[in-house]
Amino acid sequence: MLCACSGEQFKFDEPPQSPESLATRDFSASGLSSRTTGDWESKLEDFQVDEAESTLKEALSLNYEEARALLGRLEYQRGNFDAALQVFQGIDIKGLAPKMINAIVERIQYRKPRSKGEIVPPSVMSMHSVSLLVEAILLKAKSLEELSQYREAAKECGIILDILESALPNGIPEGIDEDCKLEEMFHKALELLPALWTNAGLLDEAIASYRRVLIRPWNLNPQKLAGVQKELASILLYSAVEATLPPQLQLWGLASPQSNIEEAILLLLVLMSKVASGEIKWDGEIMDHLTYALSIVGQFELLAEHVEQALPGIYNRAERWYLLALCYTAAGQNEAALNLLKKVSGCSESKNKPHIPSFLLGAKLCSQDPMHAHEGISFARKVLDLADNHNQHFIGQVHKFLGVCHGNAARISLSDSERVLLHRESLNSLNNAALNRKEDPEVMYSLGLENMLQRNLGVAFENAIVCTEMMAGNSVKGWKLLALVVSAEQRFKDAQTVVEFALDEAGRIDQFELLRLKAILQIAQEQPKQAIETYRILLSLIQAQRDNQAKNPEQSHIFKSEVLAERNLELAAWQDLAHIYTKIGSWSDAKICVDKAKFMEFHSPRSWHVTGMLFEAQSLHKEALVSFSIALSVEPDYVPSIVATAEVLMKLGTQSFSIARSFLMHALRLDPTNHEAWLNLGLISKMEGSLKQAAEFFQAAHELQLSAPIQSFL
Amino acid sequence: MSEDSSSSEETNTPTTSVSQDTSTAETTAITTSAFNMHPETPSSSSSFSTHLAIQSLSSILTTVSPSLLSQDQDPAFYLLHNPDISSQVSSLLRLPDSGAGDNNLCRWFYDTFQSSEPQLQLVVLRFLPIIAGLYLSRVALKKPLAGFEAVLLAIYAHETTSRAGQAVTVNVPDLSYPSIYHESKRPAKDNDAADLNLAVISPSLEPHGTVRSTRRARIVGVALELYYSKISLMPVGSKIDFCEFCKVWSGQEGHELQDDEDNVEFQDNQGNADKESVIKEGRIALPWELLQPVSRILGHCLLGPTKDEELIGSASAACKSLYSRSLHDINPHAILATRSLLRLSKMASDPKNNVDHTEIPMSDVISL
Repeated sequence: MLCACSGEQFKFDEPPQSPESLATRDFSASGLSSRTTGDWESKLEDFQVDEAESTLKEALSLNYEEARALLGRLEYQRGNFDAALQVFQGIDIKGLAPKMINAIVERIQYRKPRSKGEIVPPSVMSMHSVSLLVEAILLKAKSLEELSQYREAAKECGIILDILESALPNGIPEGIDEDCKLEEMFHKALELLPALWTNAGLLDEAIASYRRVLIRPWNLNPQKLAGVQKELASILLYSAVEATLPPQLQLWGLASPQSNIEEAILLLLVLMSKVASGEIKWDGEIMDHLTYALSIVGQFELLAEHVEQALPGIYNRAERWYLLALCYTAAGQNEAALNLLKKVSGCSESKNKPHIPSFLLGAKLCSQDPMHAHEGISFARKVLDLADNHNQHFIGQVHKFLGVCHGNAARISLSDSERVLLHRESLNSLNNAALNRKEDPEVMYSLGLENMLQRNLGVAFENAIVCTEMMAGNSVKGWKLLALVVSAEQRFKDAQTVVEFALDEAGRIDQFELLRLKAILQIAQEQPKQAIETYRILLSLIQAQRDNQAKNPEQSHIFKSEVLAERNLELAAWQDLAHIYTKIGSWSDAKICVDKAKFMEFHSPRSWHVTGMLFEAQSLHKEALVSFSIALSVEPDYVPSIVATAEVLMKLGTQSFSIARSFLMHALRLDPTNHEAWLNLGLISKMEGSLKQAAEFFQAAHELQLSAPIQSFL
Repeated sequence: MSEDSSSSEETNTPTTSVSQDTSTAETTAITTSAFNMHPETPSSSSSFSTHLAIQSLSSILTTVSPSLLSQDQDPAFYLLHNPDISSQVSSLLRLPDSGAGDNNLCRWFYDTFQSSEPQLQLVVLRFLPIIAGLYLSRVALKKPLAGFEAVLLAIYAHETTSRAGQAVTVNVPDLSYPSIYHESKRPAKDNDAADLNLAVISPSLEPHGTVRSTRRARIVGVALELYYSKISLMPVGSKIDFCEFCKVWSGQEGHELQDDEDNVEFQDNQGNADKESVIKEGRIALPWELLQPVSRILGHCLLGPTKDEELIGSASAACKSLYSRSLHDINPHAILATRSLLRLSKMASDPKNNVDHTEIPMSDVISL
């Protein structure tokens, strides 16, 4: 059905707008066949042109633009984009746009009461004409696209959106036009426009047009709409062109995205909620974009939520647990991650292919917590048992974790023979790892640490030197290890030099820790004044940092771990200070420091321990015993208080020697290298008269003291 | 824009064509607004410093013809995109002692960046991948690096000043509030700061006068953040340099990654017992403060609007290497980021995902 309702009909022999009279010329078959070759092609072309001609002849009242639109489409379909473009250029879209807008508005207004036969006001363009013209603009844009004139194409395509947006400022109501192709053409234009701007290299225009598509309801089907949202998210994430929302779109206050990445995450979250509600089907691409975006901004808990929401069947169980464990580990929730990884290695998965990455992650997490030492060993053993050509790469890494876990297990072991065995295993594995992973300074670090803890100081020193070389100063932990090893060799001055050097290179939190280490070394060198000065600096730095953070209260949750570390250091500093003042006999200063420490953390065993030491120094034995027992009621295995209790008991007379001895034996079971415990055992033996035994105890105490690091590392 | 820039690098003749002129004008407009320093068109003082920079560069390079000063083409743009200059500069940079404090080229980079001329700063940033790449790889070799450090510190200081040391944060969207893209039952509450979920993209910056070894990764990371923010203006060659260094940094070939049907899983090459063949030279520690900006740059190279095949190939190789490295380090942040990038790049290169939905259905019947 050809309509002629525009009211401005033109005869073909008098086209008013085109001086070259393109329509008449192009309408001949010869004009159309300019590019085609081949028999079949020409037959088709003859047939088409014939059909077109006859159709058009039948309805001589066809208006000029409609005829051009039809001809242009014909050329476009035949791949003659130049010719199509020429034809389309004869249509004065700008002039027609108001009429088209008017037609759409009229149509919407009269939509409900109007029935099929009802007569439209004669001045109004028919919807068929409108959709024909919209198609013409679209095809013009596509022709320009084919000719690689993307910018021009985008401008043309944008006209379609301009028209529809002016006509329908509130979007398309459902089912505007069932009987003509306007909506379909419009939807194609919506999808085409951003792609054209992208191809033109004008990304901010592309982003703006994606937003134009998305902020009004255009009745796109859900899958297509999701596609557009996904594309916008992708261009926002990867284009690296910052295109903030224009002010007129920032109607939502704080909820309105302020940057590309925020907007991208918002879109992806919207998409994920559509997936969750079943509005669109699962799309791995959305999940991967979201994973990337949330990794960049460090929102791993949020990511874990979305992994959890994925419907069954998208991931297999082990894979989902592994992904979740990765998220939780990245979010710092190691326990949650470990629980999931235990499931992967549990019996429910025994029939499936073993998931080596999960075992590796499990071994790594366990190696960081002495309480999970035995689980870590079993994770690592699993990988070793499966080791074949497929995962040779990971052997070094596995041996490292195995070594660390064995060492940790030795520390919590209560049986001497088992401890010896575990120690040996630990060094074996770590040495093996050092052979396999020469490039990894962490291996050397673990090896040095283990050697130091086992008091193999010579080797530990060599390891620590190699480790600091390899780390090239990336982290202060190499230097810290070196300083402790050197301090264990009783070379406090050298240790202090290492610490001073590290202090120069360290970042803030590291600096605080190193300052404390420096102060402890100064105490060991019997320089209490210098040590007190170092603590003063440390405490004022922490205070300054705290004032600094108080200026940005909205970011407080970001610095949570830093704040916690600072707080722990501050507590330790007050406790250390109390210890120094007790030693030099200034009770009142010591009291102030103890009170500060208790005020900060009432339930810290060390605070009660230093309280006890203060009482003890003043010969207030009973008060001291009470304090130590409070410390032990908070933490029954707190070795310093166990030893101190024994010391007080020893002073109370021979009748309490046996209790004191049992305290000391218990301390040694927990920490066999505690030289003070050995010393006190020797004292008891001496006082009891068994001199030979006493001599042995003293010997042990002396040797251990000569190799004791200045600060516990665990 | 980047399209234009990359293509003009290929046309290595200094003769000005019409298309180059237009893109030059656009570069000027974009960079000046981006750097927010000289919103006006290049003034006489800026062109003076540009000419000065070119003059001093021509004393370092052998074949920079002073004749280009007489070109009516924008000289800074020429510096940025001329492949002859790029290849000369990068081969000079790659000399064993190039990072020394008295190195002419490093001094030139430093002075040029300090000129505060946005377009000249872009020229310096264009070589940042090589400078940062060599710098980090050479740290362990105890080579002189003061020259590289000076350039990196200048860039770091620039970024510190322009951000006033503040952290870059994003507000993680909460779908329970309606937005321009979705509706929600809960009414929009304005200024409800308590509900803001801030996430840090880049923590606050402390001024650094020297490179402390523990801050090295952070300083380079911040320089890479600036590079990322200007990456759409960078020639493809610079991005490829970056990808190449990612591979070196990772110390991993990435061959052991085997593409499964839908998944990227890791597997060892069967029978490849020769582990030493893995490139170890130049391997560096890759903390997240470095890997995060690296991932952002790689994301742009792999999935950004520049569909350059060589770049995409190079970026995906870099991504594989980094993924493989993160699996070896068992580094969850890096595993999640690089794994998703690899999967996305696989999907993007899959032709069945690149259907043109705007195609008009062809028919021989004219329907009206």
